[in-house]
Amino acid sequence: MDRFNRRRFLKCAAAGGLAYAFGRTPQAVSAATFGSNAAFADYKALVCVFLFGGNDSFNMVVPRSAAEYSAYATSRQNLAIAQASLLPINSLVPDPNGALHGLHPSMGEVATLFEQDEVCAIVANIGPLIEPTSKAQYQAKATRLPPQLFSHNDQQDQWHALKGEATLKSGWAGRIADALMAPGASPPLDQSLAVNLSLNGQTLFQAGATSVPYTMGPTGPVPFFGLENTDAYTLARRAAFESILRANHATVYERAYSSVQQRALQGAAKVNDALASVRSPNAAPFATAFPMTPLGQQLKTVAELIAARDRLEVSRQIFFVATGGFDTHDAQVQDQPQLLGGLSNALAAFYRATVDLGVAASVTTFTQSDFGRTLTSNGDGTDHAWGGNQLVIGGAVAGRTLYGRYPLLQIDGPDDVGGGRMIPGVSSDQYAATLAKWFGVSAGSLSVVAPHIGNFAQGDLGFMLT
Amino acid sequence: MNALPGRLTPMVVAATLVACGGGGGGGSNPPPVPPVTQPPPATISKAEAYRFLNQATFGATDAEAQSVIATGYEAWIDQQLQRPASLELPHVQQAFAAFPPGADFTRLHEDRVDIWLRHALHAPDQLRQRVAFALSQIMVISQQSPLVGYPWGCASYYDMLAQNAFGNFRDLMENVTLHPAMGVYLSMLGNQKPDAARNIRPDENYARELMQLFTIGLVQLNADGSIKTDTAGKPIPTYDQEIVQGFAHVYTGWTFSGAPSFATAFPTIANQIRPMQAYAEQHATGTKRLLNYPGALATVIPAGQTPEQDLDAALDNIFNHPNVAPFIAQRLIQHLVTSNPSPQYVARVAAKFDNDGSGKRGNLAAVVKALLLDTEARAAPASATAGKLKEPLLRLTQLWRAYAAASQSGKYNVQNITGLIGQGPLQAPSVFNFFSPFYAPPGEVANQGLVAPEMQLTTEYLSSLWTDYVFVLAFCYTTTPVQGCPPIPDALRPDLVIIDAAAERALASNPQALVDAIAVRLVGGPISNTLSTQARGMVERAPSGDPALRVAEALYLIASAPEVALQR
Repeated sequence: MDRFNRRRFLKCAAAGGLAYAFGRTPQAVSAATFGSNAAFADYKALVCVFLFGGNDSFNMVVPRSAAEYSAYATSRQNLAIAQASLLPINSLVPDPNGALHGLHPSMGEVATLFEQDEVCAIVANIGPLIEPTSKAQYQAKATRLPPQLFSHNDQQDQWHALKGEATLKSGWAGRIADALMAPGASPPLDQSLAVNLSLNGQTLFQAGATSVPYTMGPTGPVPFFGLENTDAYTLARRAAFESILRANHATVYERAYSSVQQRALQGAAKVNDALASVRSPNAAPFATAFPMTPLGQQLKTVAELIAARDRLEVSRQIFFVATGGFDTHDAQVQDQPQLLGGLSNALAAFYRATVDLGVAASVTTFTQSDFGRTLTSNGDGTDHAWGGNQLVIGGAVAGRTLYGRYPLLQIDGPDDVGGGRMIPGVSSDQYAATLAKWFGVSAGSLSVVAPHIGNFAQGDLGFMLT
Repeated sequence: MNALPGRLTPMVVAATLVACGGGGGGGSNPPPVPPVTQPPPATISKAEAYRFLNQATFGATDAEAQSVIATGYEAWIDQQLQRPASLELPHVQQAFAAFPPGADFTRLHEDRVDIWLRHALHAPDQLRQRVAFALSQIMVISQQSPLVGYPWGCASYYDMLAQNAFGNFRDLMENVTLHPAMGVYLSMLGNQKPDAARNIRPDENYARELMQLFTIGLVQLNADGSIKTDTAGKPIPTYDQEIVQGFAHVYTGWTFSGAPSFATAFPTIANQIRPMQAYAEQHATGTKRLLNYPGALATVIPAGQTPEQDLDAALDNIFNHPNVAPFIAQRLIQHLVTSNPSPQYVARVAAKFDNDGSGKRGNLAAVVKALLLDTEARAAPASATAGKLKEPLLRLTQLWRAYAAASQSGKYNVQNITGLIGQGPLQAPSVFNFFSPFYAPPGEVANQGLVAPEMQLTTEYLSSLWTDYVFVLAFCYTTTPVQGCPPIPDALRPDLVIIDAAAERALASNPQALVDAIAVRLVGGPISNTLSTQARGMVERAPSGDPALRVAEALYLIASAPEVALQR
C-alpha cells in the first residue's frame, strides 16, 4: 500500500544523490538571528496535560476512610474501585473531617511522586466558576455560572480561556505570553521562539491577543523537504517559496494560511537543530525511558526541548500536550486502568527526566480536563459532570498535599447539583492564577490572565513553594 | 458491550456474506426538486466552471468542466441528483472475503479509505458524494473510538449518508439515530432505562450531541443564522438540562437487532449494518420533556408509549424546530462554498429548507441546488472573505483528480491518511470533527469576527506535512520523476499512487507555457503574477536538459501556494 514513510524517504533520497533537493546539512540555520534576546535570568516551564473527554477523576483520587468510602461506593455501585486496591496517600495537611484518600490502583508512579517524592499535589473538586457558588445558590440561580456546563467543547474552552460568560478569543496561556512580552514588561522578554508551544494541535488555551503559539507534531516540527539546504540552488527555491508566501493575498484565508507556513518555515530548522543536538547518540540528556504512547512521546519531546533550552535561547515556555479517550460513557471499568495507568506512567517519566536534567524545580506540570463525571452511571459508564480532581507535579510544587475541599461523594448530598454532579469548590481561575504567579506574571497582570480571580477570596491556592 | 472478535464464528461470517450480496449503486430516488428560476449564464468560462466544480465535486477536471460549460450549472446539478449512490460496504465485504483466517479485521478500515478515495477520484455521483462528505463532518462518527472494531458498520454508515444526501432531512435524522455505528459512537446503543436502586440514569450523550451538533445548536438562531439575544443582549439557549434528560429517556431500550432480549443482544457483522432494534423492557416509559418553541407539537411526551412512538415524536419535535433550517444551511454552505456567508445567503438557503417550493420541509436536494446556484456562490468573488480554505482531503483529491493519480493495482490504499495529511474519512479525533464551524485563527480573522474553520487543521505542523507531500508527489511520485528519488520497494510499488505529469513534461522547454499549463490544470485559469513569476524563475533555473526537474519545480511551488489552498 501507499505507505509513505518520511524517514526512509529522506534517508534513501540523500543516498540517491539528491542531497541538493532533499535533506539538510546540519548547519542549515543561517547566521541571521531572529532578534535580540532579552530574557529572564532563570528558566521556567509550564506543561499543560489536557485529558480530552472529561476525566472521571473521582475514580482517580478516591476516599478510603470508612464513612467517605461508604458514601462513594453506594453512589458508584458497580463502577466503584475496590477499597482494598486503592493506593493510600496521606496529605500533609489533613482533611478537616479526617477523611483519607487513595489513588486508583493503576497510578503507582504518581502515588510515589505524591507520597515519597512529595512533588505531586492534588487540587480537589475544581472546575469553571465565575464566582463562588453553593448548591443552594446554584438551585436558586442566584449566581452567574459559566454557560453550557455539560457540553464538551464549551467546557474545554472554559478551562482554556476562563471565559465565563464573555466571548474571549484568547486563552490563559496566551495571555501569560502576552503579558510577559508586552512592552514595559519586567524583564522585557523577547525570545525568538514562541512562549507557547503545542505538540497537540491548536487550542484556545494558547491563543494570545498579541502572542502567537507554535504548533509542532508529537516528535517535533516537520522539516521542509527541499527548502533547508544552503546550496545556491536550494536557497533560490526557498526564496521563491517565501516570496510566494509573502505576496499580497486577496483573502483573509490566504493570509492566515501563509502566515502559518511562514512561521513553520522560520521555526522548523531552528527547533529541529536543537532537537537533533539532544537526540544525538552522544548527548543522552536524560536516562529515563518514556512510554511509547502518544502522551509519552509528546512529553519526551517536551523533555528534549527543555534539554535544548539554551540552544533555543528561551527562558519561558508553556507546553501543551494532550491525550484523549476519557469520555467514558461506556466500558469505564475496562478502560480506566489503561487511561489512568498511561497517564501515571507518562507523568512520572517526565518528572524523572526533569530530575535528570537538573530542572525539576523549574518545570511544573498540571492536568486539565473538560469536566469530572457523574456519580450516577448508565450501567457501564458515566456522564458529563462538573467538578473534578487535578494533579500538579514538579520540584517547585508544595506536594504531598490535597488542596481545596474534597466533597462528599453522595448522590443528592450537599455537593450534588443533580444526577451526581459535584459543584466545584475551587475555580479554574484560581488554579491558573496560582500557576501564572509562579511562572513570573506580575501581580497586576494576574486578573488579565484569570479574569474572575477577583471574585475569589483565595487568589493563590498555595500549591507552589514560594 | 462485547467487542466483535469474541462473537464472530466462521459460520456467522459465511451466513452474513451470503445474505449481503454485492451490488453497486443504490439509494432512493430523490424527491422532485421544483425548478429554480435562474437565467442560464450566456457562457461559462473555464475558470468559472472550475470554481463551480471545486464546490460541487472532489476536484475540477477539464472533462467535467467541458460538461458544465456545455449543459450549464442547473442541468449539471439535475443530472447529478439522479445518480444513485456509489457504495463502500460491498468493497469492504469483498476485501474481508479475501482475508486469511484470523486476520485483523480492523484493517478493513484501510479498504474503506481505499474505496472512499476511489469514489472521490472516479465516482460519477460526485455531488452526492461531496454532500455525504459534508454530512459525515456534521453527523460525525469516527474509527478513532470503539468503532475501530466495526469497519462494516462505518462503511454502512457512510453509505447511509450518501443514500440520504438528496433525500429528506427527517429521514436522515432517523437513519442516523438508528444506525448502530452512531449508537456505539454516542452511547445510545445499549442505553438503559432508569434504575434508582443501582443509581442508573439514561446516558445523555446522544441526546445532547444530536441537538448540539447535528440539528439545532446550543442557542436560538434567526432565520439568517445570526444568534438571537434576549433583552439583556445574551444568547438564548435552545434547551436546558431537563430537556436533555427528556430526550435521553427517549433514547433508551435500543441495541443490536436480532436478539431475544436487550440483555442478550450482541454485535455481528450482519446487525452492525442494520438499524438498531427496540427492546421495550429497557425503555423508559415515563413522561419526557422535549423542546419548546412556537408551534411545537409535542413538548411533553406522555407516559406509556412504545420506544418507536417516543422516537418518532422526539425526532419530529427536533425536526420542526426553527433552528434546523439556518443551522443546516450554514453548515452545508461552509462545507461547500464559503466560511463566511452573508446572512442573506444563509436566509435564502434556509428558506429552501423550510419550504422547497412545493410545501415540503427538509428537502436536501432542493437545499443543495439552491446553495450552489445562489448568486453568492456563482458570482465572481470580490471580497476578502469570499470562499474558504480547502481542507487537506479536498486538496489531495483535487490534486489527484487534476493529475489522474493512480496506482498500478488500481487501489488508493494509503495506510494512514490522517498521519499523512492530517485528515481522513470517518477518522476525526472526536464528534466535534476535525475542525469547528466556529473556529477563528487569532489575528485578522478573529479580530474581524469572522471564522475560518479549516484553519484549525492548518497548524505549522500539519501545513508542513502537506507541503512536504506535494514535494514528494511533484518530484518523485510522478510519471516523470527527477533523478535521485529514493527507490520504491517492489512490495510497495503496485499500490503506490503516482500522478501523471507527462503533458507538462512536453512543455518543459517553454517555461511560461509550462507554468500556464499547470495553472489551468489546477485552477482552470490564470494564477497571480507573483506565483507565475516565481514558478517560472525556478523553471528557468533548472537545466533545460532536465525536463523532469523543471516540471517538478513548477508543480511544487504552484500546488503548495496559498492561492491554490484557497477554494473560491
